Amino acid sequence: MSAPVPAAAWDLPTRAFHWALAVLVVFSFTTGKIGGPWLEWHMKSGYAILALLLFRVAWGFAGPANARFTAFVRGPVAALGHARELIARRVTAKAGHTPLGGWMVLAMLVVLALQAGTGLFTNDESSHEGPLSRMVSNATVDRMSVIHGWNQWVVAAVVGVHVVAIAYYHVVLKANVTRGMVTGPTQVPARAWALLAAAAGAVYYVVVVLPRPA
Amino acid sequence: MTRTLLVATLAALASLSPALAQTPKPEDQLKLRKAAYSLMGYTFGSLDAMASGKRPMNKEEATRNAELLAQLATIPKGFFGEGTDKGETRAKPEIWTNRADFDQKMDRMVKETGQLAQAARSGDAATLKKAVQDVDAACAACHDDYRVKRRG
Repeated sequence: MSAPVPAAAWDLPTRAFHWALAVLVVFSFTTGKIGGPWLEWHMKSGYAILALLLFRVAWGFAGPANARFTAFVRGPVAALGHARELIARRVTAKAGHTPLGGWMVLAMLVVLALQAGTGLFTNDESSHEGPLSRMVSNATVDRMSVIHGWNQWVVAAVVGVHVVAIAYYHVVLKANVTRGMVTGPTQVPARAWALLAAAAGAVYYVVVVLPRPA
Repeated sequence: MTRTLLVATLAALASLSPALAQTPKPEDQLKLRKAAYSLMGYTFGSLDAMASGKRPMNKEEATRNAELLAQLATIPKGFFGEGTDKGETRAKPEIWTNRADFDQKMDRMVKETGQLAQAARSGDAATLKKAVQDVDAACAACHDDYRVKRRG
C-alpha cells in the first residue's frame, strides 16, 4: 500500500509548539509525581504549558491553513469514516490533521487546559499552592486539587492514545507521520511571535499580577 | 484526729481534681492533634517561604517558628489514642494496626523538626533549605500512608 507521508504539513510554530508541549507535559507529570521541592518546577512548567495552549488556540485562528481549526475540526461522521479506513488500512495520503487527529488535537487542548487551569487553584496540603489558591475558599482549593489529581490520568490516557495511534501509522500503515512534525518550512511569521508574547503576557498577568495583594 | 481527718479529706478532694492531667477523651484528643497540625502547617509554611526565597531570610523569625514547630511536633503522637479513629478525621485505620511504623514516622518528624530548629539558629539559608526539605519529606512519608486522600 502507498505510504501517506504528509510532507511539509506543519509550519515551524506548530512543530515547535508540539515538541515544547510534549517535553513540558512529560516534565510536569514527572515533577508532580516526585513532589516536594520539585513542585516549584512543576508549577513553572504548568505556566509555560498554559501559555503554549493559549498560543495554539490563537494559532488555530491566525495560523496557516493546516494549523487552523476550520481545516481539521470535522464532524463525527467524517471521524468514523476515517476510523474505518484506518482499520481497513486504506488511508489516503493527505497533508494536515486527519478527521480523527483533529479530535485528538481538541481533546489534548481541553484536558491540558483543564489540568493547567485547575493547577492554578490547588495546593499540596503542605508548602506549595497555586498562584490563585488564596483568592478562593479552601473548599474550592480542595475540589480543584482533586480534579487536578485525577485529570492527570486523563491526560496520560489521551497522550497514550496519541502515541499508540502514531505507532499504528508507523508500524501497521508504514507511514512516517512523525517526520512531518519534525521537518518542514523554517520561516516563522512575525505574528507567531506576537501571539506567543501575548499568550505569555496573559499568563504572567494571571500568575504574577492578579494574585498580588492590593 | 481533726488533723488526720483534714489531710484525708484533702487527699480525697485532690484525687478528684486532676481530671485535666488525665488522657483527654477521644473527641478532645482529635481536637488537640488537629490544632497542633494546623499550627505546624502555619509555622512550616513561613519557614518554607523563607527557605525558597519567597520571603527574605530572617534568622530571628526563622528560629522562633522552627523552635515552635519542633515543640508542636511532639504533640500529635500522644493524641492518637483508643477511639480517636472515629469522628471528623482523615486518620487512616492503619495507624492503629501498624502502630510501630506510625510511631516511627512520628519520631522521624520530631527528629527532623528538631534539626530544622538547629538549622534556623545557624542562620544559614542553604542549611535551612535542606532542613525544610527533610521536614517536608518526613511529613509526606506519614501523610502518604496514614492520611486519607482528600475528596473535593
